[in-house]
Amino acid sequence: MLPGYPYSILNSLQYFLFYLLFSVPLTLSYRTSKVLNFSHSNFIAYGMYTAIFLHGLAGNQSFLVAAIAAFLAGGSIALLNHLAVFRPLEQRRASPAFVMIASMGLWIMYNYLLYMLADVAHAFTMKNFISYGRIDYADIPDLRILDFTVDHSLLASLASATAFGTALYLLLMKTSLGRAMRAVADNPALAEISGIPREKVLRFTWFLCGGAAAVGGVLWTSFSGTITPASADAMILQVFAVSFIGGLVSLSRTILGALAISLAENVGIAALNTFFGIPTSFRPFITFVTLLTVLIVSPPLGAAGGLPYRFRRKVGGGR
Amino acid sequence: MSEESKGKAAPAGKKLSISALVPLLAVFIVGLLIGFALAGVFGAQQAAQAVAPQEKRTISIGFTLPLSGELSSIGKVWEKVVYLAIEDLNAEVQAYGFNVEFKPVILDDATSAEGALRNVQTFAQQGIKVIIGPAASSQVKAVKSFVDSNEIVLISPSSTAPTLAIPGDFVFRTVGSDAGQAKVLAVLAFQEGARKVVVFHRNDEYGNAFADFFEKYFKELGGAAVKMPYQTGLSDYAAEVASLASRVQAEKVDAVVLISFDTDGGNILSHAAKSPVLSAVRWFISEGPHGAAELKAPAVGEFAAKVKLLGTRPLFIGNPLYEDFKARLKSKYGVDATVFCDTLYDAVKLAGWAIIRAGSSDGRAIRAALVEIAKTYYGPSGWTIFDESGDKANQDYGVWAIVRTAAGYDFKDVGVYERGSIVFLEKPYP
Amino acid sequence: MIDILGFLVSWLTLLGIYSILALSLNFESGVSGVTNFGKVLFYGVGAYVAAALSTYLLLAIYGIDTSETPPYDIKGIIALGHLSTRNPLVNLGLFALTLILAFLVAGALGYLLTYPILRVGPAFVGFTLLSSGELMRIFLQHYTPLGASKGLMAIPNPFAWVPVPRLREALFLAVVLSLLALVYLVLNRLVNSPFGRALKAVRDDEIAALCLGKHVPRIKATVLFIGSGFSGVAGALLAYYLTAVNPDMFVPAVTFNVWAMIILGGLGNLKGSLVGAAVFTLLDRLLTFVTPQIGLTVVSPDYIRWFAVGLLIVVLIIARPQGLLPEEPVKTPALEEALRAAGESSG
Repeated sequence: MLPGYPYSILNSLQYFLFYLLFSVPLTLSYRTSKVLNFSHSNFIAYGMYTAIFLHGLAGNQSFLVAAIAAFLAGGSIALLNHLAVFRPLEQRRASPAFVMIASMGLWIMYNYLLYMLADVAHAFTMKNFISYGRIDYADIPDLRILDFTVDHSLLASLASATAFGTALYLLLMKTSLGRAMRAVADNPALAEISGIPREKVLRFTWFLCGGAAAVGGVLWTSFSGTITPASADAMILQVFAVSFIGGLVSLSRTILGALAISLAENVGIAALNTFFGIPTSFRPFITFVTLLTVLIVSPPLGAAGGLPYRFRRKVGGGR
Repeated sequence: MSEESKGKAAPAGKKLSISALVPLLAVFIVGLLIGFALAGVFGAQQAAQAVAPQEKRTISIGFTLPLSGELSSIGKVWEKVVYLAIEDLNAEVQAYGFNVEFKPVILDDATSAEGALRNVQTFAQQGIKVIIGPAASSQVKAVKSFVDSNEIVLISPSSTAPTLAIPGDFVFRTVGSDAGQAKVLAVLAFQEGARKVVVFHRNDEYGNAFADFFEKYFKELGGAAVKMPYQTGLSDYAAEVASLASRVQAEKVDAVVLISFDTDGGNILSHAAKSPVLSAVRWFISEGPHGAAELKAPAVGEFAAKVKLLGTRPLFIGNPLYEDFKARLKSKYGVDATVFCDTLYDAVKLAGWAIIRAGSSDGRAIRAALVEIAKTYYGPSGWTIFDESGDKANQDYGVWAIVRTAAGYDFKDVGVYERGSIVFLEKPYP
Repeated sequence: MIDILGFLVSWLTLLGIYSILALSLNFESGVSGVTNFGKVLFYGVGAYVAAALSTYLLLAIYGIDTSETPPYDIKGIIALGHLSTRNPLVNLGLFALTLILAFLVAGALGYLLTYPILRVGPAFVGFTLLSSGELMRIFLQHYTPLGASKGLMAIPNPFAWVPVPRLREALFLAVVLSLLALVYLVLNRLVNSPFGRALKAVRDDEIAALCLGKHVPRIKATVLFIGSGFSGVAGALLAYYLTAVNPDMFVPAVTFNVWAMIILGGLGNLKGSLVGAAVFTLLDRLLTFVTPQIGLTVVSPDYIRWFAVGLLIVVLIIARPQGLLPEEPVKTPALEEALRAAGESSG
């Protein structure tokens, strides 16, 4: 009997889908724009809060409406960041470290703006938006298999993640826009020379990435028990860890990373707890150990990974 | 990298040169310094000078609250409690004929230790002699040496760490030790028939100390407890709840004892509501989630009825001051009173009266006055008398449940702890 | 009225500690290209080494059995409170000893972590170190001899025996500033030397440096040893200043703040790190005086302070993408001699 069965398996699946929606956009945005975006957690947080404000202020019960609104909100934030901060910095030939710190400044700004918005919403409705409960969306059905209820958040996540995954695959592989995105990611200079409008591709990519992460945030509100403005920040390290397993450039490795980390966090900790008596409070520890093991055993040849050749033989061979 | 950026140092006028930027920065900083100075002028004006009797004195009290970060949901409610308490304090003080007005100076410490220290230092440098907060024990520990050296009275309404029960310092706590509450929780669980429990607790000082006390008292009564800590500050606890479910099944326990705060408690209960294993055992809770809006959700309310959820909390049952305070907080500011709102309110009142009674801005005088005032003050949190370590000496405890009302679900105090057993005033669950 | 002297003392003490961190980070990342996102790991290790050693040793010196009365329990804490004011020499001796050990332990840890860093490649150095930092924090939250989630408190400040609090704070500030000066001198000397040139070479183009015969792994290990060691010293100073440590103080946000300071000040320029740290910490403190006076009740006025800090970072970076002070060429003694000679011959 697997430890924590059946909920650890179901939760693993659920978290896998969440990490897909959170980390794949992060990898995609880095790959195309080479910006390590700290304010990625804001896309998720604003997605969550779009759903929450729609529910708390306007009484919205529809997941579809919330998802569309969140997609637009997250996409707009991403686009705004690009237009107002990342593009000017690129034009001034700022080094990547600077753009990263600028995104950190944006992260702080968006975070506290969200707290202020929650305050204003409270002033209007006298409801507490700083800590909000789970939202039960009316348009997602519960599914019963045998005598087992599949949670509606799992269903919605499956639907959304599948839709996103298929759409992304078709986009990247079958359309010329997708080809353009891949070209810009692989070799920006060559892409521009070939006539690809890099700026338009970048804008589209940012919009897509911000929007997808925000939809993930809406799904989160149907799954998690309590949502606060700090919820997205509390898991951003895991989201980055998954993307880093993919080397920040490989989408397929990111997906594998999502699977590995979601399994480690749910089944892994349950196993360790049941068989070795390790306290459940070690859960974040497992995540990072998994990440480090993957990085050391199989370093992703992302931006510039791997040892210089001269030292590879001495350090135990292999990549 | 450096050669490149130097060589391309001035692409056609798109960048401010340092000669333009340095004045800009200088103006900004000077502007802040002016604001800083104005703050000093209009801010704290402490009592030391003799003033003409007609002139109203303004006395500032510093508040370092967790308005962002992990405890922000509690902090936001506290902010409203502070406004209410200061209003009431001013009305009372003026009714007694003192021409004094108290002003709250509120700073956010983001639930961090360094933030708390920075805020406390800012208050000290403005001449404020009484500071209320911070919320977490780890924060109190970081500011303790500063307030002790500078003789500033610090009153925390929520820190319960046993390691801060130190006599002779400037740190006071209007909240009692958790040992008492753990005993009541143990008696409650035992009385309700639990003999083997899993204690699912936060892995911080509050959770660990509470769990240790609970285990000790529960064993004394004849029961057995298994401790299961969970990491704090995470955004979701589904994995932990799944592990809890398998533990409950494996150890065949009668009940789960949850020791948490509001956000994590609400999260855990929402996930537990979906688990058939966890819905089949009894649940007993500490005071952390009491009052939180997430627990009034229908899913949690139904779960509470199913598992006959009961919690303990510090309470002087039938205290009309508490009911009045709760009602006014709701009607005026639209927030429900959550944990430690009553201790915060009383901390403000005590601070104000101690400053007036001391008659000077000497920290030692204010400290002595505080101890005296607390001996005879009874407020929404009951008797506030301090023990020799500066912590709340006496506390009664009540039992609460989540009951169904006409408007949905709500919290209700249903019992009281009296001389070693729980006396139920009503049966919350059929 | 505002206590300007008190403000300066408290601001400069924390500035000193953060400047040591900023200088060491700039040395590692700005000059040598080892993008260290795990700065808080070494900071925390230094703080805990200082905290643990000083509390355990102080109890042991006065003959108290630490297995009966450990320093993280209330009896030990009360005992520490009494003992820390008795003997100035004991306090100062413990302080010096723990500073040195903090440097060595943190430095050794940095040196050891060079292996995984080399293995994952330059792009993932940052996140590997960040993960290590989180691992350490979670470990500390469970390890009882170091206080677990309670942390350690009543750490004996080196000047706890001084009866006048103001003097105590001023003396501690003097120590912090002298250590800062020492760190600056050492790092400045290292950067403005042939070794510094090698570091910049490794940063700019690792392959080229390898081709020219520089032993890159050994250089990175040395850099991490020195940088981490100084971070450990900063951590020890923090522990003594706060007189309490807790695992939650050592979160990744601390690393990000230090990064913001060195970027604002100018990567690769040591003086710039000092300026960046000063601007950042001063602004934060000044704003705490201003924001509560804003009479807003709809939103908490203090949110505006944080928002302003974020906005300042973004604006400063856009306005001046290379930081306030640009990187300077390596000034070895040989170069100075040559310039002087050139100046004399032309003048």
